[in-house]
Amino acid sequence: MSRSFSVGELKGLDVPEAIRKFLGTLLESGAVKAVLVPKHTPANNMVTQVLVADREKLDGADPLAPVQMINAAHAVRELAKEPLEQNEGKIAAVLRPCEVRAVIELIKLKQILPDSLYLIGYDCPGVYDVKEYRDRVEAVGDADKVRGEVLEQFGNLKERKAEAAADPEAVLRGACQLCTHFTADSADLSLCWIGAEDHSLLVNVPSEKGEQLAQAMEGAAGLEEIREAPGRTKQIEAVRDRRLKAQEQDQVELLSELQACIRCYNCREVCPICYCKECLLIPAKMGYSSERYLRRAQKKGQIKMPVDTVLYHLTKMNHMASSCVACGLCEQACPMDIPLGRIYSRVGRHVQALFDYVPGRSLEEELPVTTFKEEELPQVEDIKR
Amino acid sequence: MERSTFEPRIIGFLCNWCTYAGADLAGTSRIQYPPNIRIIRMMCSGSLDPTYVLKVLLEGADGVLIGGCHPGECHYISGNLKARRRVAILKSVLQDAGLEPERVWLRWISASEGAYFAETVQEMVDHIRALGPNPLKLEWAV
Repeated sequence: MSRSFSVGELKGLDVPEAIRKFLGTLLESGAVKAVLVPKHTPANNMVTQVLVADREKLDGADPLAPVQMINAAHAVRELAKEPLEQNEGKIAAVLRPCEVRAVIELIKLKQILPDSLYLIGYDCPGVYDVKEYRDRVEAVGDADKVRGEVLEQFGNLKERKAEAAADPEAVLRGACQLCTHFTADSADLSLCWIGAEDHSLLVNVPSEKGEQLAQAMEGAAGLEEIREAPGRTKQIEAVRDRRLKAQEQDQVELLSELQACIRCYNCREVCPICYCKECLLIPAKMGYSSERYLRRAQKKGQIKMPVDTVLYHLTKMNHMASSCVACGLCEQACPMDIPLGRIYSRVGRHVQALFDYVPGRSLEEELPVTTFKEEELPQVEDIKR
Repeated sequence: MERSTFEPRIIGFLCNWCTYAGADLAGTSRIQYPPNIRIIRMMCSGSLDPTYVLKVLLEGADGVLIGGCHPGECHYISGNLKARRRVAILKSVLQDAGLEPERVWLRWISASEGAYFAETVQEMVDHIRALGPNPLKLEWAV
């Protein structure tokens, strides 16, 4: 059962400041030895993952900054690939919901050891493409302002006008525009601002592991149990409904879009779910002898170079779509601007629906491809579909 | 009566223990079935990576038959049931890609069902003939 807390010492602070203070108190409590958190770079034009062990270094930490360089699950994987020595203590990873979900998938895929980790999620307002973010920061000259705009758009600070002429979300990354998992419900502890009154930050504790953290902090931070913020559910549902509709309306001609693929493998490199050390889709395995290229061209009349770009994507989809968390990093990484975030998230949604599976929803749910039911999927054996 | 000259080309990925043996039985029993199928023997339908099915479809095969043991009879206990999930994923992806999932068939055919194997091939050839050639055959940009 999930519990909500308001945090005494955070009252009256704006959300990013409250998050920093919360993390500082967490470090000070000794419950964790370090936090992994997004932080503004010294040049202040980008936000990168930083593992902070010293409370003083939390200045500039800003999980809500609307940019995502990597899916932080990659960083978590580095930090939790082997057990830490007992006295090293634990690491709290401050993650976007899509990152929490990716970490949970990777735990299930046995790529991350959960023992030394606390997952701290937070309500995510979405992000810009990195280039867009950099341009905006440069134009506005103030990263705080760029973040503020996104938060405001999301509708926390002002009541969102449902019939606004232009969709303000349309500037966000494609995957974010369609994201319905923008709250971190499967984290150990979740920092919530959606629907909270007077800008305060609330702490949701959905898991038992999170309880440990909450208890460690109770005295220090002045946690005070409250009922969940009254406006929260309503606001979450409003955004979710809007995006579900957008998902339905989203049309993308997959095959024709994929024709622009240059098979650079960027989408695979940045994908949190593509963890295989040896990939079936490496060039050596997808390539042919010179002789065979010629024979194929003769057979078909012509072949596109590089070959098998569609085979690459369709195979990748078959391998990872059941666990795709729709973070959209593939889209950001694509040098050809193929709307991969929309493509992969759509394919993922349909595959996941077959098994009533939501990646990262729970550690207990088995991965669809590692299990089965004796009676299921009759439509697969029916030739018509 | 005018007859189509289109002869579907079907690739069969058949499990060693059941469907391949079923195909063998059809042959040794001299049961007639259309020669449109090219058979590739797998140890288990569960060992078939979807990439092979995609590859032959993108190369222009008109249909793919995946044959495994009946549920509960898999030589490797549950490979066929895992295959069923993979085929479900594959068909879903094909659908999203605008390709025709009905070109991919999954059938459970045991080693004693030579006649059923022959029937399946006949049924599939008829179905694919009606469906027409795989449009990807002429598609060079994939």
